[in-house]
Amino acid sequence: MNSNRLIFIPVILGTSRQGRMSEHVAKFILEEVSKRDGVETELIDIRNLSLTTSDAGENIKDKKFSETVMRADALIIIAPEYNHGYPGLLKHVLDTNLKEYIHKAVGICGVSAGGFGGTRVIQNLLPVMRELGLVTIFWDGNFSSVQNIFDSSGKLLDHSYIKRIDKFLKELIWMARVLRYGRDNVPL
Amino acid sequence: MAKDVKSKHKKMICPSCGVEMNYHADKIDYTAALTHPDKMDPDLGGILEEVHTCPKCGGTEVRMGT
Repeated sequence: MNSNRLIFIPVILGTSRQGRMSEHVAKFILEEVSKRDGVETELIDIRNLSLTTSDAGENIKDKKFSETVMRADALIIIAPEYNHGYPGLLKHVLDTNLKEYIHKAVGICGVSAGGFGGTRVIQNLLPVMRELGLVTIFWDGNFSSVQNIFDSSGKLLDHSYIKRIDKFLKELIWMARVLRYGRDNVPL
Repeated sequence: MAKDVKSKHKKMICPSCGVEMNYHADKIDYTAALTHPDKMDPDLGGILEEVHTCPKCGGTEVRMGT
């Protein structure tokens, strides 16, 4: 295992909608990941990926996005719950890669205006993650009534989320390290 | 028996670093089998792909499996 490489965990902001509250969540998570020693991160905003909708899958790869996912040891997906499902654009983006995901860790943060913290969008994403070759962790981020967690500028109002996300990130980073060791050293 | 099977797999070399890569996953591509039916594994119903990762740079490469 090459220990010189930092663990790289990009955060995917999974919606392009105007007024998206998930942006506050993504920036909060990004800040929390940045505090960890030995870990680097960056924000992937799917709004900035210009993918055609006249085709799909690996045919429409975005070079920079693919390179970022290739370099990643784990992903954090910020997924708002829209009509109990995930944003179609998020799925469209995720489907453009495949080999880049295999045997890498993924943690999901569900975001909702209601009280269930995006649990349904997380449940709907799990089988997608599995098919992409990603390895899910058993901690989630659940951002219920997100309009009460952040103010309009994105300032965190509910500080209990710091401890919750600490647990989520510890599990994700552990899984990322273990899977990197496996990808690098453990043969099939 | 396992040793014989393993010996069929020549190690992939990382195109970026030149070091041996680790073969850690298999994946079946069902859609590629539609365009390349001659390469389809009839037992698996698709084209078998091997996934290899470079321990130095972390890059991943895929090649057709056996």
